[in-house]
Amino acid sequence: MTSDKATDVLIGGYLSAEAAHEDYESVLHCGAPLEGAAVVSKDLEGNLSVEQTDHMVREGAEGLGAIGLAVGLFAPPLLAATAVGALIGAGAGAALHKKTESKIEKAAGETIPIGGGGLIVVYKHAQAQKVEPAVTRAIKKVVGEAEGSHVKALKAALADAQKKMAEQAG
Amino acid sequence: MAEIDRSKLPIRRAPFQGVANRTLEGSQPDWSLIGHSTPPDGAPNVLLVLIDDAGFGNPETFGGPIATPNYTRLAGEGLRYNRFHVTALCSPTRAALLTGRNNHAAGFGSVGEFSGGFPGYSANLPQECAPLPRILRDNGYSTAAFGKWHLTPDGQQGPAGPFDHWPNGWGFDYFYGFLGGDASQWDTCLAENQKIIGTPAEFYDEEHPYYLPDAMADKTIEWLHGVRAQDAKKPFFVYFSTGCSHAPHHVAQAWADKYKGKFDQGWDKLREETFARQKALGVIPADAELTTRNAAFPAWDDVPEHLKPFYARQMEVYAGFSENADHNVGRVINAVEELGELDNTLILWIWGDNGASMEGTITGSFNEMTMQNGIPLSDEMQLQLTERYGGVDAWGGPLMDPHYGAAWAWAGNTPFQWGKQVGSHLGGTRNPLVVRWPALVTDAGGLRSQFTHVIDVAPTILDIAGIPQPTHVDGIEQEPMHGKPFTSSLTDAAAPEHRTQQYFETIGNRAMYKDGWWLAVKTERIPWVITPEALKPYAPGVWDPDDDPVELYYLPDDFTQARDLAAQNPEKVKELKDLFWQEAERYKVLPLLATLSTFFGMLPPLPAITKLEFRGDVQNVLSGMIPRIYNHSYAISADLVVPKGGVEGVIVAEADHLGGFSLFVQDGKLTHTYSMMGVFVYRQVADQALPEGDVTVRMEFKADAPKPATGGEVTLFINDQPVGNGYMEHTVPIRFSAYAGMDIGRDNGGVVDRGYDAKKPFAFTGTIKKVVFDIKPHLSDQDEQDLHAAAHHGHVAHALSA
Repeated sequence: MTSDKATDVLIGGYLSAEAAHEDYESVLHCGAPLEGAAVVSKDLEGNLSVEQTDHMVREGAEGLGAIGLAVGLFAPPLLAATAVGALIGAGAGAALHKKTESKIEKAAGETIPIGGGGLIVVYKHAQAQKVEPAVTRAIKKVVGEAEGSHVKALKAALADAQKKMAEQAG
Repeated sequence: MAEIDRSKLPIRRAPFQGVANRTLEGSQPDWSLIGHSTPPDGAPNVLLVLIDDAGFGNPETFGGPIATPNYTRLAGEGLRYNRFHVTALCSPTRAALLTGRNNHAAGFGSVGEFSGGFPGYSANLPQECAPLPRILRDNGYSTAAFGKWHLTPDGQQGPAGPFDHWPNGWGFDYFYGFLGGDASQWDTCLAENQKIIGTPAEFYDEEHPYYLPDAMADKTIEWLHGVRAQDAKKPFFVYFSTGCSHAPHHVAQAWADKYKGKFDQGWDKLREETFARQKALGVIPADAELTTRNAAFPAWDDVPEHLKPFYARQMEVYAGFSENADHNVGRVINAVEELGELDNTLILWIWGDNGASMEGTITGSFNEMTMQNGIPLSDEMQLQLTERYGGVDAWGGPLMDPHYGAAWAWAGNTPFQWGKQVGSHLGGTRNPLVVRWPALVTDAGGLRSQFTHVIDVAPTILDIAGIPQPTHVDGIEQEPMHGKPFTSSLTDAAAPEHRTQQYFETIGNRAMYKDGWWLAVKTERIPWVITPEALKPYAPGVWDPDDDPVELYYLPDDFTQARDLAAQNPEKVKELKDLFWQEAERYKVLPLLATLSTFFGMLPPLPAITKLEFRGDVQNVLSGMIPRIYNHSYAISADLVVPKGGVEGVIVAEADHLGGFSLFVQDGKLTHTYSMMGVFVYRQVADQALPEGDVTVRMEFKADAPKPATGGEVTLFINDQPVGNGYMEHTVPIRFSAYAGMDIGRDNGGVVDRGYDAKKPFAFTGTIKKVVFDIKPHLSDQDEQDLHAAAHHGHVAHALSA
């Protein structure tokens, strides 16, 4: 059983930037202390924008740095699992994007669909009952979790969330 | 003067009656040689208006919630017909309307996009069914059609024709509109006479943007003025066939905003309200019963609260779109009145060709093509995609191709069950008709309840014009019209029924009407579901149509089909079943379900051509005629001349951001953008600039697997060197667009990549010598056949909603 001190990372995928931003605002005002939150979106022309909490609520997330939080989105494409071709008997493609270690623009460029958005929220597991219900519009939503402290736990939770997102995409 | 023989068309000229000597000495001219055929004395002008995809309960004239002041005005000066019937599908109704024959006999058991291998489903008008415009034209009318056509097979919609199935070939002197089943109202890919003229220049005018419904009225009025400027007497026949209210539901926000909040009560309540108004108006009998909601439609109360505004907006836009259509028809009527010819113009205005359309599925869609491409999207997804393209208030704007949810259509078909595609029930087969003809109508504002059918319209027009049905046209013996004039009912509300029986059949849903009894046989398939599971029960050797569940109604006592009497009347059921089979054989309805024959292995031959070349000035290749790249590996290569200083612009583009592809140069970089129906948009950019001089560029798509919607790797090449790549998880399995065309050297209309929208049409600044599409075969013949079948399954899916 996950302890209240464990770190949770929630990743959400959206078909519109507006929906991603709506949930972002929602979690910021859900009443739970957050370790960090970021929303990444892309407009119809393909321009990327990143918005995130300007400071870490808790010192534990400092290790990832400010912009690094959004790295948590760089798993498979957030919406790849949307079923396609069901009427004519086709299944969704199983291929995933190659992992990339390049800078945020390139990574987000591959992850966030044009016109879409992604959300990542980091919080202590004890806050899950406040945070998770605040995320109401995600087309895909996963929560990764890890025990431990500070940066190590956050990284592990991120990895767990990414893995779950990849499994959904597949 | 000898009586003109109108039985054989074209009307044969009398032989020369003068004298032609060696010189003018003694010669006598015959001035009749330079005349033209004239109609019988008193033959009136005719204005025939057809609204698309609308229901009995839509216009306020028949109790609906949509303001239709011009329709109501006309009804007040003429007559409402409340038992007028159509065929439950677009092209079939149009074929029946314009030929006076049952739709299957005219080759239109299905729609123009589906050309099947059975006589009733060829989508090619038989020569023995000469249509009304041809008959009127040959008898001395000026004829013109504006708006939606939908009677030309997909593969014949280019400059190679043939053109006998285009509007001119059907007898219209002039045509302005679109050939397919639907069109954007903002960036219509237009046809004029025998040419696809593409997107109008006004589309690029941001201050006064193009809008098809306005342009249709403008063009009609301009044409009328031109005819009258030349000939003050010659009667005209105008066929005004709106793209409204078929998807995409496009209308300026101000029209939709007139209905703000008016549908917040939901579809269940709307049906009750409409029903009450219908009774108050007297367009349905006082004892009529409101039919109940089928479980296929959700209850409004079950819709999540946060989604209700999204659903309500769908109907607000539809209503505004419809009111705008009424407005523009009114402009045409006013123009006729200004000419002083209103009372000499027979006007027939049919509000809907097949009931309202349920093809938006339960959720409605920001892009009508998502359903046809088999992309299941939840209502939350639809809402987010709507937000992506401008938000709920922009539903109806140029960035979306919206279709409302099926339950709104059902509400639009109040008081009946079902809607479009369901030929077994009145929701798909009964639409309002208003007729204005003061020469015969003596009780203006009256109601008529004779059982009338769309095949009766052409005979009625000919009857009033005093023109006989021809026995021969171009030497070909004609199939007599199956319709009968209902002229007597114009004068006499109690005129005897001219039609006592009529069959109906649309995609297996069928009905037999006789002497008030209506046998309804609906297949269990929900109209918007074409899954293998849904079709399995109808496979050859599996399906016995006589085992289908039947319903029986007696319409004189049951206007709405609310009381099924089948169980109490087995003999009547059998009689009507037998009669249906007789009629089906007589009118080429057989084999039943021919529209879906491709799902059961009946496929046209696999096309042999895999390489197609386009020169640099080819534009507006209609969406049904682009190279069949779907679900295949393929390459697009282009031979270019890049001038000093570089180039920019589009090399080739199909359709727009809601589905399409574009290969273009921007900021000196070769770029490929692919929109998977506006849901996923992929972009690959070369990592180096395009060199100057003669350059060959190429994009290659390597499909992952021979399956619909396959993903695959895209690679860009410059002079055979790879310069960029990217992966596309999903591709379009069936069709990018219902209407938008493919262009070489530019991206006409709405653009594929919004990144160059400000520069649209983003014409290529260098020279394009040629663009070559190379469709790669899959590894096995079986794969090719499977994909060929899948393509045609999709073709049917598209056709059914067109």
